[in-house]
Amino acid sequence: MIPNEEPPPPPVDSLGAQTPISTSVPQSFEHQIQAATDAQQAQMQAPPEQMPLGAPDAPPGAAVAQLQRIQASAAQAFRPLTNTVWSKLDRKATAVAEFTLRQYRTKNSTWVVLGIGVVFVAMVLMFYGEAMATGFESIDNDGDSEDWDGDGYPTGQERKYNTNPWDGDSHPDPNLIPPDPPEKWIDEDDIDWDGDYSNWNQGHDDDGDCTGEGWVDSDSFELPRNPDRNNDNIDCNVHYSMNSTTNTVYRINSDPNVDEDPDDEIFLKESLHRAFVLGFGKIGFGFLIGIFLPLFLATGLVRDEIENGTLHYIMGKPIARAEILAYRLLGYIAMVWPYSTVLILLTGLITGFLAPSESVFRFHDMSAWLGILLASWLVMLAYGTIFCTLGVMSQKFGLWIAIGLGVWEFAMAMLSLAAPNFPLTWLSISHWGIEIINCTSIFAYPDQSYMIHMAGEISWGSEIALSGFYSPPSVVSGSPFISLLISIFVLLTVTIGSLFVGQSSLKNKELN
Amino acid sequence: MIPDLSQMGEGNTQEWAPVNEAPHIMLEHVTKTYGSVIGLNDVSIAIKGGVTGILGQNGAGKSTLFKLIVGRLRPSSGGVHLFGTNPFKNPAPYSRIGYVSESEHLYDWMTGLDFVATLARLYGYTRDEAKEKAMHVLDFVGLSDVANKEIGKYSKGMRQRVKIAHALVNEPDLIILDEPLAGCDPLARTTIMNVVRELGAMGKTVLVSSHILSEIERITEQIIILHNGRLLALGNLHAIRELLDQHPHRILLRTDNPRKLGTAFLPHTDVYGVRFPQDHELVVETNNLSSVHQALPKICRESGVRVTGIENPDDNLESLLGYLVEGRA
Repeated sequence: MIPNEEPPPPPVDSLGAQTPISTSVPQSFEHQIQAATDAQQAQMQAPPEQMPLGAPDAPPGAAVAQLQRIQASAAQAFRPLTNTVWSKLDRKATAVAEFTLRQYRTKNSTWVVLGIGVVFVAMVLMFYGEAMATGFESIDNDGDSEDWDGDGYPTGQERKYNTNPWDGDSHPDPNLIPPDPPEKWIDEDDIDWDGDYSNWNQGHDDDGDCTGEGWVDSDSFELPRNPDRNNDNIDCNVHYSMNSTTNTVYRINSDPNVDEDPDDEIFLKESLHRAFVLGFGKIGFGFLIGIFLPLFLATGLVRDEIENGTLHYIMGKPIARAEILAYRLLGYIAMVWPYSTVLILLTGLITGFLAPSESVFRFHDMSAWLGILLASWLVMLAYGTIFCTLGVMSQKFGLWIAIGLGVWEFAMAMLSLAAPNFPLTWLSISHWGIEIINCTSIFAYPDQSYMIHMAGEISWGSEIALSGFYSPPSVVSGSPFISLLISIFVLLTVTIGSLFVGQSSLKNKELN
Repeated sequence: MIPDLSQMGEGNTQEWAPVNEAPHIMLEHVTKTYGSVIGLNDVSIAIKGGVTGILGQNGAGKSTLFKLIVGRLRPSSGGVHLFGTNPFKNPAPYSRIGYVSESEHLYDWMTGLDFVATLARLYGYTRDEAKEKAMHVLDFVGLSDVANKEIGKYSKGMRQRVKIAHALVNEPDLIILDEPLAGCDPLARTTIMNVVRELGAMGKTVLVSSHILSEIERITEQIIILHNGRLLALGNLHAIRELLDQHPHRILLRTDNPRKLGTAFLPHTDVYGVRFPQDHELVVETNNLSSVHQALPKICRESGVRVTGIENPDDNLESLLGYLVEGRA
């Protein structure tokens, strides 16, 4: 009845599912119609339930069945590697994920949400660019550019040549030493950024007023000259004391006149730049984009399908409900991860060129940006899974619960910035995202604590910018690496936990 | 009086149950309630092979029955078996079924080919295999020329057919069609009916639901009648028909002169009365519908009265149900 040249029926696995064999031509409907018609002619008297010949259990004859079994097992033995159970799983995963991506593409809400993210980042970058382009008027931090006695020589120059800065008649010989312009005595001893942080030793006397090199000494001026007033056995340096468990500098002790008039523009721009990287990384990428994208894009992943009455198209296939949820999330991830990667790396690239740096591009921020990228990925994964689960669990209240969660997360993010050690914040996603950035930024900015202290000493007020968004790792103080691992672990655990909750909720859900 | 029309009569079980294998679908005393509303009430069926029509009014429980079979719903009590497994917990038997829901919603942004091929990939086919199979089934339901058009631009009949196509892509043994003819124009209706009949000829088990008796009649003779969530009748439509024909029946005729025509009908042996409900209307009451139908043209012609319309007010589901319910009572 079935012609011999017809391919064997697909092998049947234990579940009764037909495994497609790519090497065999799929049994076509025409074949089946022909076979069924033949069968009808042969078995006119047979009841209808004996007719189906397409069914694998109804062979036309024992010998043919035997042959078919042999052919089927042969086909199974030579089945190409691309046709295993795992590849079937991939196919389903990619099919659902790809479908999800294409569905996103057709929705206006996707483009609006993603567009708002781009506009937000672009606006913040414009503010940043403007701040970096603005010059800061340098401040004479030690007052030695002033000419108090009006003889044309700035105070610093008079002190260098041992004349009286308060007496108009006392000044160096103008024929031998012409008066310096006042600018020369502004920013004349900058902070040195290339110090050795492991030795708690920093700084260098750029203008010679500590070492006394090129200075005319007199009894009236700081004698005996003591180039090691901080007793660290290094002349003319800055010694600082650091708490090695918390990685914080608590005291700075400098030798006289070392780094006493830093370049304000450099210092302020460096401070602003770091404040931007950390602040925008934590609030912008780690929290705002990290929560709004999932809220609008992940909540409806399965819920909308249930509401639209279209979920049964996917669910009526031999695919577990738990898989559907996971693969839908995979599609969501396939969109938001590249999106945030592009945004963050682009921001890193743009700021890398605009930021104060000795080279054209500022490479040493990269570890901070990569940390922000990692935080953004994990936060969007965790929030996405939670919101998707909420959508499945309660179609009516899911959105409200999600909004409530958003408010909580915002409060905890703010609290994490203000009081990083407050344990209540551990109950939020945002805290762990911020902690990842804390852990990685310490690799990018090992001198941050030093700068904060320095800014405090010199009273610029820029320490607020420096310390406002910065905090050392707080989960395990002093071990950024372990803190990082714990943060990653917590976020992944939350993701997996809420995935399981969502899956079991979907499994038990009736789809009316 | 009404043989084998009671719920799950012994004779029916024998007739419908499979000989060799477990039935494709088996429901054992299945009840489904939605809060205080009863969707399905103590229904037991076993189905394997052939085309079966599920007949019932809106809200009779047809869709509930299908949703239970395909595992969208969980029975409140009783057991549902799809290829011997519980469909709510186990998606494995879905590889052997094709389900067309009553839902009008489709992914309008996809093309027909996309829709069918994407869903085919969920059976584990590769991209190419899925596309090939999708083209094949679209051809089978007569949509190959619009395969690359967006579903949003499809007509109602095309939408129904693309839904059917997606359910056939895995070459299923069991096909469940929930109201496949709803809202279709006559041409699409015919196409779909042909598709269903063809599937039946291939030896597939097909379940089709409808609330219109004549539609089901054109597709199959095996029917299940649901009423208010109960299994009212189960068997061959002709048997039910014959019972119905021997029951008081009415024929409504529109004519200029009902009295003259009524007089012409009275001598017929099977006519036991005529009534004139309105002007220009005549109702002939009979115990044997087919005999009156046969005699009708001759009587009309001989009486010389012009007849503008004939209606069979009892030839619909409502009267069939009314009769069956009455008969049961």
